Amino acid sequence: MTRTLAVWCPDWPLVAAGIGPDVPAAAFHANRVIACTSAARAEGVVRGLRRREAQGRCPELVVEHHDPARDARAFETVVGAVAAFTPRVEVTRPGLCALATRGPSRYFGGDEALAARIRFAVDERLAGRCGCRVGVADGPFAATLAARRDLIVAGGATAAFLAPLPLRLLDEPELVDLLGRLGIRTMGAFARLPASEVTGRFGTVGAAAHRLARGEEDRALASAVPRPDLAVQVALEPPADRVDTAAFAAKSLADGLCATLAAAGMACTCIRIEAETEHGEELSRAWRHHRAFTPAAVAQRVRWQLEGWLAGQQQCGCLPAEGCPGGSACPNPVGGTTGGLTLLRLVPEEVDPDRGRQSGFWGGSTEADERAAQGLARIQGLLGPHAVVTAVLGGGRGPADQVRLVPWGEPRLPARPGPGSPTADGGAGAAVATGAGAASPPRSRSSARASVVRARSARPGTRVRTSGRSPSPTEQPTWPGRLPSPSPAVVPVDPPPVAVVDAAGVAVGVTSRSLPTNPPARVSIDGGPWEDIDTWAGPWTADERWWDPTDRHRRARLQVVLGDGRAYLLSLEGGRWWVEGVYD
Amino acid sequence: MHLVHATVLAGECVLPLVPALAATFPGAGLRRGSTVVVDAGAGVGAGAGAGVGVGAGVGVGAQGAVSLALLLATGASGAGSWCAVVGVPDLGLVAAAELGARLDRLALVPHVEPRQWVTVVGALLDSVDLVIAHPPAHLRDGDARRLTARARERGTTLVPLRPGRAWSEGADVRLTVTGSRWEGPGAGDGHLRSRRLDVTVGGRGSAARPRRLQLSLPVGAVGAVGAVGAVGAVGAVGAAFAGADADRLPDGPIERIRTAG
Repeated sequence: MTRTLAVWCPDWPLVAAGIGPDVPAAAFHANRVIACTSAARAEGVVRGLRRREAQGRCPELVVEHHDPARDARAFETVVGAVAAFTPRVEVTRPGLCALATRGPSRYFGGDEALAARIRFAVDERLAGRCGCRVGVADGPFAATLAARRDLIVAGGATAAFLAPLPLRLLDEPELVDLLGRLGIRTMGAFARLPASEVTGRFGTVGAAAHRLARGEEDRALASAVPRPDLAVQVALEPPADRVDTAAFAAKSLADGLCATLAAAGMACTCIRIEAETEHGEELSRAWRHHRAFTPAAVAQRVRWQLEGWLAGQQQCGCLPAEGCPGGSACPNPVGGTTGGLTLLRLVPEEVDPDRGRQSGFWGGSTEADERAAQGLARIQGLLGPHAVVTAVLGGGRGPADQVRLVPWGEPRLPARPGPGSPTADGGAGAAVATGAGAASPPRSRSSARASVVRARSARPGTRVRTSGRSPSPTEQPTWPGRLPSPSPAVVPVDPPPVAVVDAAGVAVGVTSRSLPTNPPARVSIDGGPWEDIDTWAGPWTADERWWDPTDRHRRARLQVVLGDGRAYLLSLEGGRWWVEGVYD
Repeated sequence: MHLVHATVLAGECVLPLVPALAATFPGAGLRRGSTVVVDAGAGVGAGAGAGVGVGAGVGVGAQGAVSLALLLATGASGAGSWCAVVGVPDLGLVAAAELGARLDRLALVPHVEPRQWVTVVGALLDSVDLVIAHPPAHLRDGDARRLTARARERGTTLVPLRPGRAWSEGADVRLTVTGSRWEGPGAGDGHLRSRRLDVTVGGRGSAARPRRLQLSLPVGAVGAVGAVGAVGAVGAVGAAFAGADADRLPDGPIERIRTAG
């Protein structure tokens, strides 16, 4: 049982709002009073009252809305004043904090002296906005009740202090109600019941409440310990000009860091490796580990990172380039490092509780996952963090729109919401239909829904004007106008231009009613020779983001199969055709 | 790992394949440590536009080699193995997902400078189970040999995708697409639905005798590929098609394995 001192600032939400005690005011949450000033209390406003009733009792009541963040911010000043006496302060809630008195009391000459000093310090900090109250008792619960009465309960007298108090202070409404109907209305009466009987009848909740009532609370204070600075660094003297030397130093540095973290039961999942060269260059990169860094893993990352920096990045910066002797003799190198490393620093950026790990026997994370993760991280070290990616599919119409490339190690979230996995659009061999889905911009919610419903039943070849309505969170957008499966296996990063003409050599376009101006017969890809089109399908048109003039895309897509069996996805935008996809 | 596994089961020596391809490979899977070249023959897309290269990618050839390589990754990634694709910035990832590949097990290294290509592929051979790699234009034969040896040593399957002149020898299996035919579109109606790929299987050892294989890649059925020949494979495809619309089924059961010559 911990001897505890509690500091209570009454009506804190209103003090934090800057309202003095003589102004009738109340703070409301969910239409109920949660705190009120003494002036309001004098008018009959109590906690739990509805707003209308509170205003009925006190018509000039100032209504404040509950803002826990503001309360907590304002309470920091009080906590700061208390923390001057001991670093271990538990902020129970804004308006109430507690500390263990064992050390500070002995230092300041007893509980009374400590309480007087803390009261004086807090009052000074609050400058008359609120009178704080300080109570000392055994355990945080009793200390809080003592603070309400501004009382210092002698050691061992806590049970006697609690005995006459009403049970409703226990904050267990159901239990208190039941006990009340059984004729038990005070803490003392409850505490006199045998503990085993209470546990048997009321379970763990009852047992915990019984311990509180007996004054034998065993909850430890959740006092905030200031976080130690976990970063470690080593100065390299003489400067390390070889990767091996630096990696060796990093290993011993990482050993120390991981030992410190392990002693605290923590593990590091993201570490920043910083290095300085003799010429004052600062190099820094963060590394993430999907589980937890071991010293060897940290040393490995340092090695990869230094290899990446020292190897190959150096380029010639001479102007003009002709006069440069080239290679390492270049007098003006750009990039890379110019000297040995003088300082190596490891900064743990994310530290989590170490929960240990266990490889799965079936499924779950396996050794293969770990091996793959290591290899991919290695390549990231060689080529940079954005060189290794995985793809996430999201919503979209074109084959490239649906893909988002996520650098390895970052959370895989799609760029746009959409059906999780691509499925084939419905519709078999429909002739080119027109106009059915060409809805005007939605005027009302109902018409917007109608346009979406119409568009959803659209078949290939139907023109779709996208609706501006954003879908509700539970509803996944269906992306009408999306191309049916299969998708092109090659999506050129830099789409080559293509010319599409009909049999007479006239360029093919697409009308505003989603029909080709003339049937396409021949194509020339990227300036190549003319090739005959065997069969073709489409066009699929989509007017995307038409409400946004800077990001609007009107596209028509056409599938063509050439005479020798090759198939392409061509797209027309701004009067020009491109190869958007290759069905490789 | 080797200390724990005193014996290696036969099933662990191969990476699983989709049913349509499994019948073609000895052991019904992709042997770990082997080198499987996927290329497109001169027969397909021999038209003048076929070889137009786009950036550092595999180009606009449209011969079907990329789909075939993705098909190899589908079986492996579906069984939880890690796959990597190197040097193919224009890979169609929606198509990969439609073929059934697990994108969370498919790491991509799209842009690699030619001089770092060997290092990157080497590092991947150490860490993942299947590496699909499109080599730069002038890969040295020595580098190719070293990578083949490293793949064999690390038990990783290397799939050089359209490697050009590299790996002209030294591949365990060589899959060459010799023909491709699309079905679905007409004169403006329909859409691309299914394709037939003619694949020649060659290589060394048990794959030395060249065979021809006709693959049907149906649309819509995620994780399924049209059956070729074997009865078991047909059953598997039937099951995979259970959830798909009937009109997306391939038109006729004409697939079979033929022995060339």
